[in-house]
Amino acid sequence: MPQIVPEARTLAAQCRHYAMCKIDYLATGLCPSGPEKHFVTFYPQGRMDLYRGLAEGRIPVTEALLDAADTCTMCGICDAQCHFVTGMQPTTVMRALKDYVETFRRDEGEVVRPVEDEALRKLRAIAGRDWASNDPAVLWTYADDPFPLAGPQTPRCVVLPGSRDEVAAIVRLAGELGLAIAIRGNGGSVFGFVFTDGIVLDMARMRGIVFDLDNWTAAVEPGVTSFELQQEAFRRGLRVNAAEPAATVCGNLVCTGTFSTWSNVYGTAADNFVDMEFVGRDGRVFRLNEKAGPNHYAFEHRVAPSPGICTKAFVRLHPATDDEEGLLVPFTDLDAAVQFARELGQRRIGLAVAVLGAHYIAGFLSPDEDLARRLKEALPEALGVNYVVFAIADRFARDAIRKMAPAVIDAGLLRTLMLGLPRLLEPRWLELAREYEGGPPFELLCRPEMRPLVEAALLPSPETIAGAVPEGLRPFYRELYARPEMTDMVWLNMHRIVSARMSRRKHMFAFLVYVPPARLDVLHEILDGFARVAEAHRIDHDFGFLTPMDFGKRAILEYDYYIDHTDPSEKEKIARAMPELDPWLDTLAARIPGVLSLKYVFSQGCARKESFLYRV
Amino acid sequence: MRMDLGTLRKKRAARDPRILVTGAAGFLGSHFAVALLEAGYRVTAVARPAKKLGAQARIDQLADWFALEEEARRRLTVVEGDILDPAWAAGQAQAGRFDEIVHCASSTAFSERKRAEVEATNIDGLENVLDFAARSGCGFFHHISTAYVAGKRSGPCAEEWVEAGPFTNVYEETKARGELLAREVCRAGGIRLNVYRPTIVYGDSRTGRTLRFNALYYPVKAAVYLRDIYIADIRERGGRKAAELGIRLAEDGGLVMPIRIEVAREGGINLVPVDHCVRAFMALFEDGLEGGIYHIANPRATRIEDIIGYGKRHFRFEGIEPCGPESFAGRPKNALEILYDSYLEVYRPYMQDERRFEATNAAPILEKHGLVCPAFDYGIFSRCMAYAVDVDWGSKLFP
Repeated sequence: MPQIVPEARTLAAQCRHYAMCKIDYLATGLCPSGPEKHFVTFYPQGRMDLYRGLAEGRIPVTEALLDAADTCTMCGICDAQCHFVTGMQPTTVMRALKDYVETFRRDEGEVVRPVEDEALRKLRAIAGRDWASNDPAVLWTYADDPFPLAGPQTPRCVVLPGSRDEVAAIVRLAGELGLAIAIRGNGGSVFGFVFTDGIVLDMARMRGIVFDLDNWTAAVEPGVTSFELQQEAFRRGLRVNAAEPAATVCGNLVCTGTFSTWSNVYGTAADNFVDMEFVGRDGRVFRLNEKAGPNHYAFEHRVAPSPGICTKAFVRLHPATDDEEGLLVPFTDLDAAVQFARELGQRRIGLAVAVLGAHYIAGFLSPDEDLARRLKEALPEALGVNYVVFAIADRFARDAIRKMAPAVIDAGLLRTLMLGLPRLLEPRWLELAREYEGGPPFELLCRPEMRPLVEAALLPSPETIAGAVPEGLRPFYRELYARPEMTDMVWLNMHRIVSARMSRRKHMFAFLVYVPPARLDVLHEILDGFARVAEAHRIDHDFGFLTPMDFGKRAILEYDYYIDHTDPSEKEKIARAMPELDPWLDTLAARIPGVLSLKYVFSQGCARKESFLYRV
Repeated sequence: MRMDLGTLRKKRAARDPRILVTGAAGFLGSHFAVALLEAGYRVTAVARPAKKLGAQARIDQLADWFALEEEARRRLTVVEGDILDPAWAAGQAQAGRFDEIVHCASSTAFSERKRAEVEATNIDGLENVLDFAARSGCGFFHHISTAYVAGKRSGPCAEEWVEAGPFTNVYEETKARGELLAREVCRAGGIRLNVYRPTIVYGDSRTGRTLRFNALYYPVKAAVYLRDIYIADIRERGGRKAAELGIRLAEDGGLVMPIRIEVAREGGINLVPVDHCVRAFMALFEDGLEGGIYHIANPRATRIEDIIGYGKRHFRFEGIEPCGPESFAGRPKNALEILYDSYLEVYRPYMQDERRFEATNAAPILEKHGLVCPAFDYGIFSRCMAYAVDVDWGSKLFP
């Protein structure tokens, strides 16, 4: 009788479905079976789910489960990929899954082989035999995500279309059979939108990117991730406004309109593309720019359905210059930081701009949770940094920022701090900084003349930073941090790979609200409101970020709640908190121009931003 | 007065008064509480819980550090509480009467960026304790203040109320406001008031032992940390970083660290060892029964050049030199000099102090007890720094 290993079971349940194992963001290569089989089942994320499914008695041993276990080569790539963002090392689960299967075979257990029903037969006729499945193990890997307020929902079939015409045919078939459909991109839906008891369309096979440099666009198919598109744009000296790295470009555009710190200059929603192609709910293909087509550039102030299934987005490309660098301007006070960020927007200084709290900065810079926790404490307590304004700026903009700010952490200092982080957090230095009786210690730290001393004290190097991670991963981290892009804020921010660390400690609920940043009173009302509800329900919470938009007239604000999604009592807390937030935010939005919860933008991401940021 | 002199004397003679000490886990608070216990009094110590230890455990740990006798410990009661909590006074008032309160809880931070924290402790916290004193029937309030309520001035500073500034920093300002608050509440409530005003208190002049490693210790500690960095750089990494700042090993194995420290021609720093501070406090506590203001200061200030000399000798530093502002005209400050300069900037009013703290009230009592504040010499410096290094600047104070 195969046994479940408790340690592996716990680890498997902690998978956050961020799909960072589905993109080659650390240049380690991918789990070999994933790009071949395309079903999420054959990526580490899928195998984590399979083990959890076995442990919870949700799934039998099926042909696909055996295949998923057998195709794991125990290469260890997932350990590096997953540890970088979550601190977890999935090979424990991979080993346990393989052991389970080995015992099962030795015991001559009965393998479940599902029967092909009509729906599956027709889907296979459209997409090809290998690209549709009703295997219970496969279905299980498309049935759930860490969003604790929606239970698992097992689809009838999963299909991976290879073209727009196949998508259209599948939509028509679903209509004929009376089956619901849900579209699955590459990441995990944090709000449970991608689940159905009908047909799941996983777009992972549609991965085309075609650059049209004369028209400054890239035609992107729905299986392409933000990371992959940005990587290709970067190779050409260009940039796109990208979502979280594992999120699909098309899916994110449709869903949230794609915003990032770069939205300061690149905007959001319809600003991000030149045109988009959809398969409508009736199976008809249309483009947004068709004169006679439906007007999805307009915005309705209600939760509205998406235009359909995006099968191609013509994404706008932006030029980059070779003198761009990142910098951080530290602040002790939120209001001063917000005003500074807004001023950058107003004065058109810099490209990406955001106000970040100590929590984000600590998470981004630390390759290890314990280090992140200590840095989060040390930033305000020892260094006097409660907030920073992060900016990517060319040399002219950097000169301007230096004139505007009393202290600046430039790219060189940030690199020093990142690579010397374990030494920065040694108690003796923190104590010295805490006891320092002058102005905020960061002002001293930022003085260019201090650089030789800071470098001598921190010994910034790949070896130093690698010393903070588990011993087995140190060689990997040494090589990783020897690569210049790993300490380059421009590269890191464009590709957004460190922001995925936000959920390392616990699963994150991100609440996003458009706000008028000139109204600091409103901003505080919103922050206090989120904090009040979280405190009332004893939920971990923190300020996320704020990015100015449209010349500082508007901003997007993120506030985060953190829960352990595997703990039932935490689920109850969030279930009680959520109904308090919606009416409060709605009242606020009705009262104050410029306040809008992003939940109303969900599925209306193709709208012009002006149609939801302003109400006339 | 709530408590007439006769009653006070009688209670004191019988070692009968119930005494509450605030800030009992702090530097002076713990020393005064232990001195009172050793003198035979019953003491209730108020302390906040720390991150990993409750108030009782903190005080127990300190009692061990002081090697407090078992008999004295039996007269010690620990109360967990935060004087910043307004409910504390009400709660304490229900817990019982105290005849005397020794208020030691205080923030000694100078920095403007710590203003909120300093004001909270030195004003709001004091108000809560005074509120409690008024409610609890306290007859004698002993307020630990500082000689630096004198503010920005030079020359003689009398043991008198300071009604207004200007002050050098938020610490001086809040301590001066605190004295006036104490005066107001004690006058209104008929509570006898002693105000004790020590200058800068460091370790024990005989043993070097101390519980705090700030003020005098900070720049020395920073120099030692820097020395460790550069010695490691020279020995393990070829000394490239050291060379950038002209740092090298001296022939005797010490370190040459070229740091020019700007010092004024006049004035010095007023340093009182904690053993003298405690003895002076106890003498004033026992004999200053009428109520009054008492300076606990060193009649001889120490010149910064002397302290730099002690540091060089004890730690085998070379290259650290006191100098005047003209030295920086030709060669700008390097990283080490900027570091020291920015730190010493806030201490400069205390390093080149030309205030003279008169002791009209304190002197007769201290003389009667034969108490003379020791001059800060190399022997004392050396003992203090040896202890600091021994306990790794506080991180190894407790086993």
